[in-house]
Parts: sequence; C-alpha cells; structure tokens
Amino acid sequence: MTDCREGGPAGTDAERDTAPVRTDGGTAADEGGLRARLAGVDAGRAGLYVTLLALVAFYMTPIETGLVTSFKTTGAVTETAPFAPPAEGFTLEKWQTAFDVLLRGVGNSVLYAVPATIISASFGSLAAYGLTTTNLRGRYKAVVITMFVAGIFIPYQAVLIPLTQFWSNVVPLNELLGFVWALGINDDYVGIIELIVTHVAYGIPICTILFRSYYKNMSEEMIESARLDGASLRRVYRRIVLPLSTPMFAVVLIYQFTQIWNDLLFTLVLVATESSAAAPVVLILAGLGTSQEGTDFALRMAGAFLAALPTLAVYIGFGDEFAEGVAT
Amino acid sequence: MAELELDSLTKIFQDGDDEIVAVDNVSVSIDQGEFVVVVGPSGCGKSTTLRMVAGLESVTSGTIRLDGESIEDVKSQHRDIAMVFQSYALYPHMTVRGNMAFGLEESTDLPDEEIQRRVEETAEMLDIPELLERKPTELSGGQQQRVALGRAIVRDPSVFLMDEPLSNLDAKLRAQMRTELQRLQEDLGVTTVYVTHDQTEAMTMGDRIAILDGGRLQQVATPLECYHEPANRFVAGFLGEPSMNFFDVTHRDGTLVASAFEYPVSEAVATDFGGTRELVLGIRPEAVEILGTATAEHYFEVTVDVVEPMGDENTVYLTFGDEATETNTLVATTGGMREVSAGQSVVAHIPEDAIHVFDRASGTALHNRRVKSRDVAEIDSPPG
Repeated sequence: MTDCREGGPAGTDAERDTAPVRTDGGTAADEGGLRARLAGVDAGRAGLYVTLLALVAFYMTPIETGLVTSFKTTGAVTETAPFAPPAEGFTLEKWQTAFDVLLRGVGNSVLYAVPATIISASFGSLAAYGLTTTNLRGRYKAVVITMFVAGIFIPYQAVLIPLTQFWSNVVPLNELLGFVWALGINDDYVGIIELIVTHVAYGIPICTILFRSYYKNMSEEMIESARLDGASLRRVYRRIVLPLSTPMFAVVLIYQFTQIWNDLLFTLVLVATESSAAAPVVLILAGLGTSQEGTDFALRMAGAFLAALPTLAVYIGFGDEFAEGVAT
Repeated sequence: MAELELDSLTKIFQDGDDEIVAVDNVSVSIDQGEFVVVVGPSGCGKSTTLRMVAGLESVTSGTIRLDGESIEDVKSQHRDIAMVFQSYALYPHMTVRGNMAFGLEESTDLPDEEIQRRVEETAEMLDIPELLERKPTELSGGQQQRVALGRAIVRDPSVFLMDEPLSNLDAKLRAQMRTELQRLQEDLGVTTVYVTHDQTEAMTMGDRIAILDGGRLQQVATPLECYHEPANRFVAGFLGEPSMNFFDVTHRDGTLVASAFEYPVSEAVATDFGGTRELVLGIRPEAVEILGTATAEHYFEVTVDVVEPMGDENTVYLTFGDEATETNTLVATTGGMREVSAGQSVVAHIPEDAIHVFDRASGTALHNRRVKSRDVAEIDSPPG
C-alpha cells in the first residue's frame, strides 16, 4: 500500500516537470512531422488510400443501411434515404417484433445446430486421426481419402429427393419414434433429429479433411514417442492429439456452425413449414415481414440481424483459437 | 536391463512395384548393459533398424530377441523400450513434469505419489528440478534434450534407443552432453543402442560400434578395432577425419605399383594378399611422416599443394609430381607447430607397419596395420 502511495506522487511530479517542455517541443515536432509526412505522400500512395476508403464504404454501406433501416418506423423507411440515420422516425418496435417472432426459431435452430456441429467436428477429428497416424496401408488410405474429398463436392440440391425418400421410406423416423411422441412431445421435432443426422453426415467430409491437414503437420515422432511410452492408439488420441487440436476445433466449429445455422435447403425439405413447432430461425425469417400489404423492410432487417447474432457470437467466442488454427 | 539380439533382420520397403532394401540381413547381439553405437552415412538403414527394434516399422524378415524372447509381434507400447528422438518429440501441451510422468502413467499401475517421486528423482539426477513446471516451448534446446532423456530414464526400460539425440545441439553443448550421456548410461547400466552419423560420437561413446552401409552390416567391433583393423575399405574410409588415403595399386613381385609411385612390400605383408593382384593401398594421414630428406625405401619426394592449419595440427595435401590429380594426392597431418608451406618440396614417409591393403574388387581388407597390443593397453590403463 505504502509503495503505491509513494509511487503515485512521484509519478505526477515527474509528469508536471516534463509536461510543459513536452508540449512545446511536441507541437513543433508534430507540425513538422505532419508536414514532412504530407510531403512524403506521392500521388500513387494518395490514390491507394482513396481507393481503400472507397472500398470500405462500398462494403460497409449495405450493413450500415440494414442497421439504420431496422431502427426506422415504416413511414421513415419510405420517406428517408435508405442509408440515412433514423433521426425522426426512430423506433425499437421492429426489433421487439422480430425478437418475439424469431425467438422460437432461434431455440429450434440451436437445438440442431449445436449438436450437429459438435458431432461432425468430433467425428471428423477421429476420422482424420485414423487416416493420418494408423498403420493403414497407403493404398487403402488413398481410397478412403478420395471418398471423403468427393463427399465435400456433392451438391445439396442433388441429394434433396434421395434425402426425403431416405427419411420417409428407408428410415421412417417419425414412426420409429412413436413412443417419444406418446410422451407428449410434438412429433414435428422429428425434423430436428433428421436435421442433426443429415448435417452430421454432410459435415464429416469437410471436417475430416480440415483435421487431416492439421494432423499431418503434427510431429510424427511425438506420436511415436507416446506409443513407445506405452499409450494405446485411443490413449494417444485422448491425451496427445485431442488436446493439441483446440485451434483446429475452433476453425471447424465456427465453419460448421455457420454452415448449419445458415442452411435453408435442408430445413425446407425436412421441416418445410414455418408454422411447424420445430421451425428453425431461417425458415421463419424467410417469411418475416412479407404480407399482401407489402414488405416491412425495417422488420426484415431487424430479423436478419437477430438471426445472424449467434454466428457472430461464435466467431467472437473462438476468435483467438480461430486465428491460431487458420495460421497453422 | 536386457540382452538384445538382432538376427538376420531385413526390411524391404515397397515403392510401387519397386522393392527397396533398407536393411539387409543385419545380425548383432548386444549384451546386457552394453552401449552400442550404430553408425553410417545417411540412408544406410541405421534409423530403420532402430525403428524396427522400437516396433515403429514392421520387420520384413528376421528376428529381434529381447532376453531370448522374440518381440517382432509385440506392439511398441508393450515392448518396454524407451526412445529418444532427434527432435526430442516432447508433448508441447504438457509441463516437463507431465512429459516425464506420461510414460509411467500409461505403462504402469503405479500410484500417483510413486510416479511423482520417480519423476522428481530423475529430474534431480539430470539437474533439471527447477524446470518441472515449465512447458517445452519455454526451454532451450539443451534443456529440452535433458527432458527428453529424463522421459526415457524415468521409465527404467530394458532398452534405450537413441536416434541422433545430440544432432540438434550446438558443438559445445554436444560435446558436454556426449560425456554426460556416457556417464548416465554407465551409472544406469541399461542396454543402449545409439544411432548417429557423427563418427566422433561413434568413436567416443560406444563400447562397440556397428557400421552400416547400404543396409548391410560392415563391421561390429570396439571403436579402436574398427579404426585400426577395418574389415573393409568402406569402414577404413568412413572412420577418421581427414579420411584414409587410398591408391589403386597392382601387386608385382613384392612391389605395389600405383600410377604415381611404386611401393615395395616385405614378404610377410605380401603373403597376406594371397594371389590377388588388383589391390588398394590405404594409409591414414596421421601415419604419414613428413621429413626433409629421403633415406631409404618407402620415402617419397612430394610437393606440398595445400596446407590447412587447424591450430593443433595441419592437414597437408601432398602431390607426387607437379600436377595435383585424384590419383596422386596424399593427405597427411602434421603437428600444429610445424611450418609447412605450399610449393615446398618435402619427403613423405609411408611406414610399412601402418599400411592397409584391400582387395580392389570386393573391398575386403587383406592386410591391416599392425597394432602393438602394448600401445592399446597403455591407453586403457596408464602405468603406475
């Protein structure tokens, strides 16, 4: 405590002593510095900055427009320029409405996006571990890897019909889970389970390839060392590979979560209607603010931002690990 | 502690339709507590041999026996073998303590307190107890090396395998660790196989050295035996820096005829050649004497071509005749205080009791220099 108190005044004294000197010299130096700096800017560099600023404006304007629009009353939206701030007709009502309508959908989306993300990342990590560190013959590995890579490039549109056929004829989950619905749970929720399984299946290839490239860079000698230390393959994964995968998990979790959260195609096929109890947020958002009287732009903007918030949250939450994972 | 025996060990890698023989019929028997250094140029199969012993490579044919029991089908995690890698291969997310405890946790049922006790004891022995709570990234190369050693030692395995463990250290630290490793191995008495391409390590560290070339075992013997009585031309040329001088010669009636000189040999030496006429004459640089005047046979007039002063000694390149070519250059070492300069005409003495003669076709040594057993004995136990 005493140390702090002694240190405090000493510091201010020193500041007071040097302050005037610094101001005088500082302004002179600043002016000189600014002038020198301006003199050093040639036409090319000035052009570059102008272009960069223009690009920033170009990319930011839609977001800014959306954000200001979401705070405007319906009248203000039509009367003012789209990107003008909501000076007169400012309202939080649209956000309130969007929140009330979408909350149910956000909950449903979380219900399948979170498990599907975690499961596909875990399976991808396990598969990649098996493909990089085991003694599987190179020839067989190549075949399996080719199949994983091919899996990435299967377009969703191509599988929509087989997918509905699969869930209605091959695995009629709705009938199989009859005992669950008997407990009083809405049978619309079968769509959530179907979405989890489908997204896991389509997410595993990309997750595996991402993890594989990461594991290939892992020190082989370290894995061998762990084997010689007496650890089984499973234990090596559990104690060495998994703890070292954190940065790649961040990358894969962010990527997969965003993909699954934003996907509309599978939800359209497997859940279909926004009136369903299990309707995900994207499905409700698609119809939000549209009616026969016209489009409520402010409401649509507020809804869009609201629906995008969870993906932003995931980015921010795993930001540091993401940067590390991308860098490796 | 155990006896390790490699019996006709062979490893063939399949590369498409090609077969690459990495290790060819290698048989070595290593006694309990012995320190054997496996040495050879890169690609000679020494690391592959070690990895087969560790169980990291499958064995194509042959047997590895540990205390008489064959272990090729035992998984690496059950072989009771510890290995130190060139890259140290520490677990970056664990502390030094975690790194050292990992092996005991995975391979034994010891209670935690016992594991911790052993880790601390080993850390004490390696003089690194203050590093226990640090992560590998916070350690210097030398410290990482000690942790890697500690990780192997703490497990008290039957065999230590070391794959070029010192090659990532700077020269000074390497020399220091070399001595320390030898001392540790002697204290622990654990059978050790040490792979290196560095001949200084091979000569100084091992009880015996095994020299490999092209997957084939060339010689297994004590370092001095390999140096003075090489089994073939490869071993003779591989050990020693600067390496042995070789001259292609033809044997004609008691004289070895090279393109640049003729070297008479006594009958006792000539009988070693049998009927072989196409030979290679070998002489170590330090066995060549540089003198002022020729007095008898085996003395040759030569010109000094280049002198490389090393401080403690000079490496001198001598030529028979005027032009330096591959076949007429003789390398000699002289004391560092001797003044020899390029262009000077001197006499080189190639003593007959120091020459080696090899069969040119097969490379086999037909005649090796005579080592007076007294000389070697004096090195082992100084008089008094």
